[in-house]
Amino acid sequence: MTHIVVDPVTRIEGHLRIEAEVDGGQVREAWSSSTMFRGIEIILKGRDPRDAWAFTQRICGVCTTVHAIASIRAVENAIGAQPPPNARLLRNLIIGAQCVHDHVIHFYHLHALDWVDIVSALSADPAKTASLAQSISDWPLSSRAYFTEVRDRLKGFVATGRLGPFANAYWGHPAYRLPPEANLMAVGHYLQALDFQRQFIRLHAVLGGKNPHLQSFLVGGMATPVDPDSQNSINAGTLAELSKLVADARDFVARVYIPDLLAIASFYKDWASTGSGVGSYLAYGEYPEGDGAQPALFLPRGIIRQRDLSKVEPMNQEKISEYVKHSWYNYASGDDHGLHPFKGETVPNYIGPKPPYERLYLDRKYSWLKSPRYDGEPMEVGPLARMLVAYASGHPRVKPLVDKALATLGVGPQALFSTLGRMAARAIETQVVAEKMQDWVDEMGENMARRDYRICDNSKWEPSTWPAECWGAGFHEAPRGALGHWVHIKDGTIINYQCVVPSTWNAGPRDAAAKRGPYEQALIGTPVAKEDQPLEILRTVHSFDPCMACGVH
Amino acid sequence: MNDASARRLPESAPGRVYVWELPVRVTHWAIFLSVVVLCVTGTYIGRPFSAGGATTDRFVMGIMKVVHFYAAIVFDVALAARIGWMFFGNRYACWDQFIPLTRERWRGFVKTTKFYCFLRHSFPETIGLNPMLGLLFVGIFALELLMAATGFALYSVLAPIGSPMRVFRFLVPILGGLQDARWTHHVGMWLLITLVLAHIIAVVVISVAQRSDMIGSIFSGYKLIVDRQDGERDNG
Amino acid sequence: MTEQGWLERELKAHGVSRREFVKFCATMAAILALPQTVAENLAEAIEKADKPTLIWLEFQDCAGNTESFLRASRPTVAEIILEKVSLDYHETVMAAAGHQAEAALSKTVKDYAGKYIAMVEGSIPTGADGAYCTIGGKSALQIAREVCGAAAATVAVGTCAAFGGIPAARPNPTGAVAVGDAVPGIKNLINLSACPANAENITALLVYYLTMKQWPPLDQYRRPLFAYGKLIHDNCERRAYFDAGQYVEAWGDEAHRHGRCLYKLGCKGPVTFQNCPVIQWNQGTNWPIGCGHPCLGCAEPNFWDRMTPFYRHLEGVPGFGLGSNVDRVGIGLAAGVAGAFAIHGVARVVSARRAARADGEKPEGESQ
Ligand code: HEM
Ligand code: HEM
Ligand code: NFV
Ligand code: SF4
Ligand code: SF4
Ligand code: F3S
Ligand SMILES: [Mg+2]
Repeated sequence: MTHIVVDPVTRIEGHLRIEAEVDGGQVREAWSSSTMFRGIEIILKGRDPRDAWAFTQRICGVCTTVHAIASIRAVENAIGAQPPPNARLLRNLIIGAQCVHDHVIHFYHLHALDWVDIVSALSADPAKTASLAQSISDWPLSSRAYFTEVRDRLKGFVATGRLGPFANAYWGHPAYRLPPEANLMAVGHYLQALDFQRQFIRLHAVLGGKNPHLQSFLVGGMATPVDPDSQNSINAGTLAELSKLVADARDFVARVYIPDLLAIASFYKDWASTGSGVGSYLAYGEYPEGDGAQPALFLPRGIIRQRDLSKVEPMNQEKISEYVKHSWYNYASGDDHGLHPFKGETVPNYIGPKPPYERLYLDRKYSWLKSPRYDGEPMEVGPLARMLVAYASGHPRVKPLVDKALATLGVGPQALFSTLGRMAARAIETQVVAEKMQDWVDEMGENMARRDYRICDNSKWEPSTWPAECWGAGFHEAPRGALGHWVHIKDGTIINYQCVVPSTWNAGPRDAAAKRGPYEQALIGTPVAKEDQPLEILRTVHSFDPCMACGVH
Repeated sequence: MNDASARRLPESAPGRVYVWELPVRVTHWAIFLSVVVLCVTGTYIGRPFSAGGATTDRFVMGIMKVVHFYAAIVFDVALAARIGWMFFGNRYACWDQFIPLTRERWRGFVKTTKFYCFLRHSFPETIGLNPMLGLLFVGIFALELLMAATGFALYSVLAPIGSPMRVFRFLVPILGGLQDARWTHHVGMWLLITLVLAHIIAVVVISVAQRSDMIGSIFSGYKLIVDRQDGERDNG
Repeated sequence: MTEQGWLERELKAHGVSRREFVKFCATMAAILALPQTVAENLAEAIEKADKPTLIWLEFQDCAGNTESFLRASRPTVAEIILEKVSLDYHETVMAAAGHQAEAALSKTVKDYAGKYIAMVEGSIPTGADGAYCTIGGKSALQIAREVCGAAAATVAVGTCAAFGGIPAARPNPTGAVAVGDAVPGIKNLINLSACPANAENITALLVYYLTMKQWPPLDQYRRPLFAYGKLIHDNCERRAYFDAGQYVEAWGDEAHRHGRCLYKLGCKGPVTFQNCPVIQWNQGTNWPIGCGHPCLGCAEPNFWDRMTPFYRHLEGVPGFGLGSNVDRVGIGLAAGVAGAFAIHGVARVVSARRAARADGEKPEGESQ
């Protein structure tokens, strides 16, 4: 039994530490800890609820937008504000763009290097690479000349002797399995994806002024005016720009991301039976398709228990609670039971080792993450949860795409409950959302034609119009999964604010009943070829797309 | 000038005494007028109403700001002059009229306080400043300096290239940043208005109580001193 | 620095001969499985290499500045990383993890001591002995001291690193401080504030240094003048409406749809220094005011406390509640004090006269 520590886990957002016990080439026990705390829930107390979105948005700059959305929904829910249709569409476009953008960056820039060996790409034959690329997609940047250029650029870089961010990594590790040509193709697409994300996210700047940390959210609506007859508003020209950006995204996803994913997956099929996790899935659902209190959702809400795709249970937010038995916090009433977020407390209580330290006290408290539970059970959230709930609900677009991917790889639905399943679900979701975005652009056009200028529920802007005391919950599907904010407002001021975040669900430590969190569970059984090179651990942990700034906040 | 007895009112002083010299009167009214203008324009700057019409024929905020800045020049010059005159003017203009430092002033202060607390019937006579009003004026001068300092800080970032006013940028961090300076400037206005109102009411009340033509004195410079045997009816 | 200068000096200082060095290059080429042609040129290439070394540290951050950096367009982040600098450590993008990552960091700190540039994102907690932020078991403070202490320059990227930012907002639960306050006296500290810092300002700073071989002049908060030398308000496209007195009154009203000034909805452009209106964001696509939302003042120290509530021109009065308003409190105060003075004054005069009349004998002084 060897005890290994991976800290920092890199190519994620934030400060994640994995400790694991490895025996016989496999992880036998695992602990997930996040080692950074800011206390944003505490900082929010006593503030204007209309400002909360800007504060919570700073929980994360990677999934920027998501906490802003959850926050305005929570406050709107509390005070009874009803955003008009234009605001809903603007938000859907922003959320959709965030999803597509975040997933592409995750796949190419955060996860790919677990599967792609850059050094092996140096010895690839550009001609063969070109024919490989052409065989999986008709993407135009697949010529021999292009890949020659990429290879030479890479060589020039390596020849400086300064490998920068690629130094000291696991190149040559036995778990790398792609042929040099596939590696070179992936390196080319790593660079292209960098350009793609920069261009595509201009969509956020168009609708939100800037990215990261868009600045057009309002409690009750959006600050981006809509008026086809003004040059200072979203007008026909803007719609044309949005359509172009959306079309480019659809193209990149369909012709680069999806083919790459399938190509890489075909070399790593054993990862379809590794990294399964807790097996229960929670999705709040996303993309309201209408207005009012309970609008229809494009991606459905629900719960799947113990890998049973035959039924989707309805979600009841009252069953959500957070535990701090193994987290560096104290509850006033003791740490043995959970608290619903309306009653939630954030009172830090660090009792771990004094830095610098070698080991955490794993039998006591060992993380800044809390342990959220649904009905007392750990839940996995994220693209896989969303796609499974949609698949099991018979979603007209998700179902055929999932079936097609399974068929292409020659695996059954059980393969979805895995490290590879998470990657595939993420890619499929990206495609579904990228396709859907054009509908929202079109709907904006229809609203505009009716001269519907409304962007915000101004009747609820002034705190004097709010109830003296009110409570609200806001739900959102962030790229990494189900996100909820709960707010308690009194006399126009925030009394309590609690965020239960996707990465809290997934990366949280054990609960009071010693049940492992999803990361911890998924790591059990992960192969480890070299104990001093944690490549396989990274693969499974990265498949969740960790974000610790989010998870702890 | 520091001779305490010199300041005591002669037993049977005849009517008129020259108290407020010209520079005191001029700066007093210059400050008053500029403060009125600064309050009006400042209130608009902090809480404007929207003007209609085309941009080309409207310049409401622009004008308010320009007027504010010219009034600020008058205000700052007058304030500086008045403060300077504390060291050159007559005994009634002197800085020590404001802060009760000498035993004499302090005794006067106690007497006035007693009068205001209904512990004494007659108004203790002073030729220059009533010692308690003197304290009010300390507050007023302090707020005026605060307005000047915060105003300079705010202006320092608007001043044209090459303007010496830019040196006042050093005030910005001291005041906690521009937004805090703005808040302090705005709140300072209300505190100043409060003290000035108190001052005006006090002056009117004393004028009536004392029948000394105190109000007229700040126009003419002369006070009418009536014999009242200061201290005789001190029942406190 | 001349072509061969630094390497020759370094080799000599470490007692390494040129022959040994060429041999090292060959070994390295073999380790990296480089094709023969590359190996041949390696020694020469390393000699020529004069890329500045960058270390990017993340502490109490949200990675917003890292994401911003990824959006850089002139030059792009790929050009920067592959050609312009050697980004030896950056947790969000680097391939190595755990011990390998830490080893890469300490190697660079040792090999390039006094030469590398430290870029820091996020504030540094001083509470709980540093346990509010640790990496590899070390506290942020320990790492910052070590890395920034030996850097040629430290760039605090984003308002958290520059001024404490959101973690330091009231009540600052973790005792978060800015880099400059956590490690006082470090060399060439540059604050690139904003939440996040604009990608184009990050790259402009690097380009400034690469082309002019010096650091730019700074303002009183150690921010480069090229990006923070002017108020948002002074470059704002809506300024004409500010001066005219034409303001947005409600979200979506006609003035809003036609790009009038956002002053009355709490715009902090008049008190914020940054070049947003000039360079804009995301390759010049737009900026907050351009899309109809007021500036939050994100580049200024303590903006989370000083610029809030964001939608109000000024904060209320402490003790009078969040919704209080300086003008209403001011009018109340002035009216109250004036009333009190008036009532007191009248009462004083009346009672003095009554007392005088009661005293009887000597009414002359008091009444005539
Ligand atoms: C008794 C004297 C003064 C009063 C009552 C006064 C009042 C005000 C008020 C209420 C504001 C609006 C603050 C806000 O809410 O943003 C303001 C702004 C301003 N005042 Fe004054 N002020 C006075 C003296 C000065 C002086 C001496 C200066 C020096 C130059 C000055 C310069 C400014 C500037 C630069 C602004 C900001 C204008 C802007 O934001 O564009 N003020 N003043
Ligand atoms: C912005 C408004 C005002 C300010 C800042 C102000 C300030 C002062 C100050 C500092 C003094 C002491 C004399 C000196 O040292 O200059 C004074 C005296 C005086 N002020 Fe004003 N004043 C204001 C408005 C007025 C107004 C509107 C009146 C008219 C009723 C007035 C009547 C007087 C009188 C009668 C005195 C002489 C008091 C005495 O003899 O004890 N003031 N004022
Ligand atoms: N976990 C997480 Fe987030 C997301 N997606 C937010 O809610 O990444 Ni920063
Ligand atoms: S300054 Fe803003 S964007 Fe940068 S780390 Fe802090 S919160 Fe995130
Ligand atoms: S929108 Fe803001 S920055 Fe622009 S002119 Fe108006 S107040 Fe100034
Ligand atoms: S909020 Fe920040 S991004 Fe620019 S417009 Fe204001 S400084
Ligand atoms: Mg929470």
